[in-house]
Amino acid sequence: MKKTYSVLKRYGVALLSCAFLSTALFAAEETAPGVTGASEEEFTPAKEVLTIKYVDVGKPYHMDVETLKGFFNDAKGVTVQLQKQDKAFPNGGGSVSSAEVKAIHDGLVAYFKVTWSDPTKNARAIAVQEFRDAVALMFPLGAVEITPAEHFSPRMGDREKPTNLWHWKADWESDLLVKGELEDVEAQYPNMHDDFNLNPYSAYYHRELITSVEVLSGGRAANNLLSQPARGRTVEDLNAEGFGTLTTQAHQDVNGCSKYEDGVWTVIIYRSLITEDPHDVQFVPGGTSYFNMAVWNGGEQDRNGQKNISIQWHPVTLERVAWQ
Amino acid sequence: MTLVHNWHLGRRMEYPYFESRPKHQFAAIFNINRCIACQTCTMACKSAWTYNKGQEHMWWNNVETKPYGGYPQSWDVKTLKLIDNGENTWYTDEKDEKLSPYGVYEGDTIFEAAAKKNINQWAVGYIPEDKEWRSPNFGEDVAKSNKPDEYSSLPEHSRWFFYIQRLCNHCTYPGCLAACPRKAIYKRKEDGIVLIDQKRCRGYRKCVEQCPYKKPMYRGLTRVSEKCIACYPRIEGKDPLTKGRPMETRCMAACVGQIRLQGFLDDNPKNPVTWLIRHDKLALPLYPQFGTEPNIYYIPPRWAPRAYLRQMFGPGVDEAIDKFMVPSRERLAVMSLFRMTQTIIYEYKIEEGPKVFETTIHGKKFELYNDTVIGLGEDGQEVVRTTVEEPVYIRDPKHYNSI
Ligand code: SF4
Ligand code: SF4
Repeated sequence: MKKTYSVLKRYGVALLSCAFLSTALFAAEETAPGVTGASEEEFTPAKEVLTIKYVDVGKPYHMDVETLKGFFNDAKGVTVQLQKQDKAFPNGGGSVSSAEVKAIHDGLVAYFKVTWSDPTKNARAIAVQEFRDAVALMFPLGAVEITPAEHFSPRMGDREKPTNLWHWKADWESDLLVKGELEDVEAQYPNMHDDFNLNPYSAYYHRELITSVEVLSGGRAANNLLSQPARGRTVEDLNAEGFGTLTTQAHQDVNGCSKYEDGVWTVIIYRSLITEDPHDVQFVPGGTSYFNMAVWNGGEQDRNGQKNISIQWHPVTLERVAWQ
Repeated sequence: MTLVHNWHLGRRMEYPYFESRPKHQFAAIFNINRCIACQTCTMACKSAWTYNKGQEHMWWNNVETKPYGGYPQSWDVKTLKLIDNGENTWYTDEKDEKLSPYGVYEGDTIFEAAAKKNINQWAVGYIPEDKEWRSPNFGEDVAKSNKPDEYSSLPEHSRWFFYIQRLCNHCTYPGCLAACPRKAIYKRKEDGIVLIDQKRCRGYRKCVEQCPYKKPMYRGLTRVSEKCIACYPRIEGKDPLTKGRPMETRCMAACVGQIRLQGFLDDNPKNPVTWLIRHDKLALPLYPQFGTEPNIYYIPPRWAPRAYLRQMFGPGVDEAIDKFMVPSRERLAVMSLFRMTQTIIYEYKIEEGPKVFETTIHGKKFELYNDTVIGLGEDGQEVVRTTVEEPVYIRDPKHYNSI
């Protein structure tokens, strides 16, 4: 399944030709400390295989952790060791040492359940000093064989070696619980005054006024998914071809749900096995691919490259459907 | 890291990207001596760009009182501490007009301090918390007094404060741009304006952390960061008022105290901005030791303690104040252009006028000539004409006391 991943490529070309720093920018960065020099071990996938077990999920009434978690009882999990991200600037992380991953599918949808401990719940990113808890699963795009001979970086892929990432965010989950699907600034500062209200569901919303000054809604006017109200999901569907290339997909296909209890996050991320989007990973029964993951601890100011990562790909295989 | 030349520091320094200067660089000169802290500039900016939801704490332009004021609180003291290695001194014995006009800075920049401390990011910095952004007028008009029972007299007042007008410096080596792991921040080749791409930003706040001037700001509503955009539509001549000619930003144009002149730093010695900064050295960069080569320049306040000013504007302070107190003929003419037009002036011409006055200031002879100074726009056409002496109009006695 060799594809041209046109969005990423086009983006890369645009960056090269229009950015004032031009190609020099990349040249300078390649000599930067810590960005190069991955060990052989990173290109050897882990031995333990994660099987996406076939389970008849039926039609769950609620896509929440309480409803779904029972279906994972018979699935065999893998424990993924996590460590500080120590290659690309800015470095950081190291507060979460491992996470457990289990996966099931019902012939239509794949569900990945990730659990890890985190003593603080950080489910909002409105104040400047607040960062969210998050987890991401990453898959290589297309059919690839990862071996020490065939280098495929487990750290966000490489140029010409694209990956598909599913990034769950704790604050997106908080947003979903709000009418209008975005926690407004008042959630953080309840007694604040504002002259202009962008929230279309607020009592003071003045459509004519707001649309006339759309440019002043910044990321929202620029169509940045992070800034949009009513995203309708807690997981962002992205692609990356190495450090600094993370790009939100035009078509969002992934969703998830979560629960934080007794210092443990349980996050279930799900997506249909097959999508029409060429930028998505596809799951074929019996087929083997790989996954990798990262966890962000908002309480430790984790974000971007400051994260807890696994430096090894883990094989993942989709169990054949037992049609009855 | 690569080595780039920073003429403020008079030496090369480490920066994550190669040196790439725009043909002409957005720049401005603020005459601190004249500012009355009316905050008209601040409100001009606020009412243009940051009056919307989630921007309540944002003041892309702010005017704070030194030494106690700061927005965000104590931003400069905190950043100075981060680069302090005990030897942040300047070597001023040898200077080169082009490469090291102020001498050579021997301490660490924000980039070098980060490399030395091995903190695995491009520059040292910190994220001011929400409460630090909350009171932009904190410390306003509070004077520092070492000898409270003494009357103040020039050259240095013993009881002093001054105002400092701040906006994004559209730095030549921006800390914000270096910090961004996504390259969501870019510096425009045509005018050196530094912008955050609102689509590419992911709200990591690395720019908030590593801009030493604390001018990128996080917007909780959109979950991404924003910063001063140098009113780029005006700079591009999109405002019909100047008929397609580049126009000064809102904060510049609104200045009541007439302290501001904005234009581009380029190679033309007859560009008023270039002349005052590079040739006359009357206007100095703010905290050059941070290493970002900021592009807002200040005529330092003549009454404040020199040691404090040298820390803030570098070793060029004494020369600049001497020049300001006893201005030369050309300097006086060029300074007459401040706030005479909002069309950006690319070049000036002086037509000599008669001598009108002569005196001695601090033991130095001073002569005043009523020269005419003419400002030319981008197209070489005259956009403003003024004289050193302000024209005086005498009202007809029959209109006395009338409005
Ligand atoms: S002042 Fe700060 S925000 Fe502005 S260009 Fe310089 S480093 Fe960036
Ligand atoms: S408008 Fe001019 S005089 Fe008034 S505070 Fe701003 S810079 Fe100072």
